Amino acid sequence: MFTTILISVLIISLIAAALAAVLAVSENYLGDYGPCKITINKESELEVRGGKSLLALLSQEKIFIPSACGGRGTCGMCKLKVLEGGGPLLPTEEPFLSDEERDSNVRLSCQVKVRNDIEIQIPDEIFAVQEFKCRCADILELTHDIRQFTFELIEPEKIDFVPGQYVQLFTPAYEKSSEEVYRAYSISSDARNDGKIELIIRLVPNGICTTYCFDYLKEGDEVKLNGPYGDFQLSDTEAPIIFIAGGSGMAPIKSMLHQMVNTDNKRKASYFFGANKVSELFLGDLMKDFESQLADFTYVPVVANPEPEENWDGETGLVTEAVKRQIDDASVCEAYLCGSPGMIDASIAVLKELGMKEENIFYDKFA
Amino acid sequence: MKESPQSKKLEAMLRSSKLVAGGFLGTDNRSVSEIIETDRQTAAAAGYSTAEIARRMQEITDIAVTGLGNFVRIDEGLEAMVEEAKGSLVCPWPHPGTYAKRVTILRDTKNQKLLQWSDLNIHMIAEHGFFEGRGSTFRLEPDELADVIF
Repeated sequence: MFTTILISVLIISLIAAALAAVLAVSENYLGDYGPCKITINKESELEVRGGKSLLALLSQEKIFIPSACGGRGTCGMCKLKVLEGGGPLLPTEEPFLSDEERDSNVRLSCQVKVRNDIEIQIPDEIFAVQEFKCRCADILELTHDIRQFTFELIEPEKIDFVPGQYVQLFTPAYEKSSEEVYRAYSISSDARNDGKIELIIRLVPNGICTTYCFDYLKEGDEVKLNGPYGDFQLSDTEAPIIFIAGGSGMAPIKSMLHQMVNTDNKRKASYFFGANKVSELFLGDLMKDFESQLADFTYVPVVANPEPEENWDGETGLVTEAVKRQIDDASVCEAYLCGSPGMIDASIAVLKELGMKEENIFYDKFA
Repeated sequence: MKESPQSKKLEAMLRSSKLVAGGFLGTDNRSVSEIIETDRQTAAAAGYSTAEIARRMQEITDIAVTGLGNFVRIDEGLEAMVEEAKGSLVCPWPHPGTYAKRVTILRDTKNQKLLQWSDLNIHMIAEHGFFEGRGSTFRLEPDELADVIF
């Protein structure tokens, strides 16, 4: 009796294993859905071989949708509108989509498999995104956990970006990570030096890309990145500017200040930069240069908890407190913020208190 | 006890570096269920449930966030700061949910000892009783943690 049961269980297990194997093989070898058409923005059409994710097929055609996790459905960045042919929304997409996004057919392109003709809508700026092969030319330690990385472009040799935009840095598999990922970092360089890209990166404990950059990436190494992305940029008005940033949030503001120098921009501007200790302030000399090069620019470093031996005689406390102390009326100003969601939310509240209209506050939130 | 396919899959995910560099289990060779059970007992011996520990961690994080990246006072002898990075983390357990890449750093000013946890740690302790494996970057010893935060 026991032997019969055992044999039955064994046979059923074998059949189940065989079926699973057939399914896996089918997916790999028979999951070719033939030629499919991807219609983009009702204008252009791509002929692709179906069977892969929309993200992978677009990337194959050199259309780079932002994605940090390599298409595993864990970052939620690769959103686009699928107007027709995307199939039902998957449970893996749901946590990343708001009700409004679901209603307007937003999908995660890494989770949409192309099995038939499909119609999508993507922002026009995406077509300007390119993949760059670069060489790490310089690594500069700015604080104990922030470094500036300079990459020389190899192919293509130049990048055209608007200060405030970001790129995605490719991280290969390495000792501490078996996965290839991309991570987004704001460009900190002067857009005039278009043969180089400079990034300011803060080490994230356990971070896949930052651990790679800090512990494995060496000068001379080849890296890959794509971009530019994003619409955080200076407006073309004459309104006085309030910049607020902290830590690696320095990056896009620095790039914007280079732009102001290059274009002889005479707007009045104040830059409040927050740090915990004096040793966490960086690029102070460059900020002094900007003060002398720009018509009406003031750099205001703010140290929350200066040590007595640091002899700090500048602004203290939270960066938002310093803004409140120095600005009486922000109603005619614009603000550009870069940093953590907490810092940005607190800054927005203070700026509104000082009379600034919400539509004049622009930010790049770390979220 | 024989592990279910789901447990094996979870353990493989936790050991891999798919979601965080170095994975969640570090050099710990124990099974996930053994780690969770041992830590539950350790926390209980210290006088707290894992839910109580997670609740207190969340309280500290909520206060620390107001420091905008700087240390703020939590209690007598305790201060904390929160650092945030771009992006989000997903829980390795098979359920929906993403957590901000936010790390709370707690300093015991009496001995300058530092402890750190992410928003994902708070969730994993609250919902799964998981303090990570020994040798992982964010491993927290339940009794040492309880001793500092309460």
